[in-house]
Amino acid sequence: MAMIEVENLTKKYRDRVAIDALTFQIKEGEIVGFLGPNGAGKSTTMKILTGFMPATSGKARVAGFDIFEKPLEAKRRIGYLPETPPLYPELTVRGYLHFVAELKGVPRGKVKSEIDRVAGGTGILPELGRLTGVLSKGYRQRVGIAQAMLGNPALLILDEPTEGLDPRQRKEVLELVKSLAGEHTVVLSTHILSEVKAICRQVLIIHRGKIVADDSMAAITGGKETGLEDKFIQLTAE
Amino acid sequence: MRTIFAIFKKELTSHLTTLWAWVVFTVMALLSSAFFVLLLGGFKQAQDIAREVPGGWSALPAEAQQFRNLTDGVMISLWGTILVVTLFVAPFLSMRLFAEERRNKTFELLMTTPIRPIEIVLGKYLGAVGLIVCTLGVTIVFPIILSIIGSSESGSALEWRTVLLGYFGLLLWGATNMAIGMFISSLTESQMVAAFVSFAVALLWMLVSSVAPRAEEPLRSVLNYLAFDSQLQNLIKGVLDLKPIVFFTSVIAFFVLLTHRSIEAQRWT
Repeated sequence: MAMIEVENLTKKYRDRVAIDALTFQIKEGEIVGFLGPNGAGKSTTMKILTGFMPATSGKARVAGFDIFEKPLEAKRRIGYLPETPPLYPELTVRGYLHFVAELKGVPRGKVKSEIDRVAGGTGILPELGRLTGVLSKGYRQRVGIAQAMLGNPALLILDEPTEGLDPRQRKEVLELVKSLAGEHTVVLSTHILSEVKAICRQVLIIHRGKIVADDSMAAITGGKETGLEDKFIQLTAE
Repeated sequence: MRTIFAIFKKELTSHLTTLWAWVVFTVMALLSSAFFVLLLGGFKQAQDIAREVPGGWSALPAEAQQFRNLTDGVMISLWGTILVVTLFVAPFLSMRLFAEERRNKTFELLMTTPIRPIEIVLGKYLGAVGLIVCTLGVTIVFPIILSIIGSSESGSALEWRTVLLGYFGLLLWGATNMAIGMFISSLTESQMVAAFVSFAVALLWMLVSSVAPRAEEPLRSVLNYLAFDSQLQNLIKGVLDLKPIVFFTSVIAFFVLLTHRSIEAQRWT
């Protein structure tokens, strides 16, 4: 079954076309790398898929629910990490996760165990009592991912989850994302190709608002070590 | 309901753990105590004069008659003053409501969780009302002090019904200010701009009653109707009046709905 179905999705900001008639599908349980140069339309696509922003035209369905017609049903199935982790600096990590769990409608009796589950999964259990405002960048990112995992949504949309992290934190976050495969469908946006190579099986490359590649990792690299880089540079050239 | 309550709770925690709210509470406490002391001084002066003048109260002019008891002489004037103080401090509480969500990028979180925008707005507004109730809550100590240390021939020092109706008018006015401030906060990312514009709007509203007498009919009646001080006049004096309750509730509902439209509309740009 397709977790995400996108048809002719277009978004215009006044006279600028951000994404232009995107059409693609993502199957359940996949980890998909969503690639493209800066400003290609990755974040715009993600904002539309998560229901933050409406499209100018076209259709998008998440787990079979149209994001424009049945936004609440679709949003129930999505965990989203925006480009900047959406934290309230004056709340503790636990207080923050509690708040998000309530917004997501996690049953009252399960909130505590759910917080422990996602905090355990992202390695932030020792930080639960700290204010989110004083956390290091790596921990802020993890709290952002923990927040997305609350309520165990079928689809996780992560917008540049490794941005601004040091190499060790990067590796840890990637391993975390990889461990989510199977149970969750993950869409991961980034412009760091080595990360994608390490964990994704499907690759979508977007350039100037258009899909320029949509294939399995093996088909895109052609088995070569530098295959993904070559393809990326070739496809996103002028 | 649960989500509205969750946002309400978060709003109160967020504000009460930052410095701003406490600064506002302190300013309210300082200003209102200063006015309280001044009014009390005036009251004492009037009482002393009444005791010395032959003929007592009946010999004094009509405008001095309000000083015959604490309710009219002190409390009603105090509520009238706090009304204006509220207008000055409310923008500093309402400015953060949406502007801060924008700045923290948490607005995206709110809009992508499975809740309706109206739940966000209602939760926020309830939080805002909670804050203004805390701010005005400080001032309830004044009638309590008066009822403990004051005395009168009729037994109780204060007419509590009058005092509480006036207090209700004050809360209604505070809640109205927060609704307007919330709408303005939803339009901008900058807290300072939000506070400044809310303040300007409140100031203009304050001017309406002074412009009204100079206007021609039918404009004059319209302005008189819109002026908040004339709307609140009766409630502050302790007369139960439905007109201001309907008026301010409508203003609140209007701005809550406007906020809802505003956050919906921003997703389209």
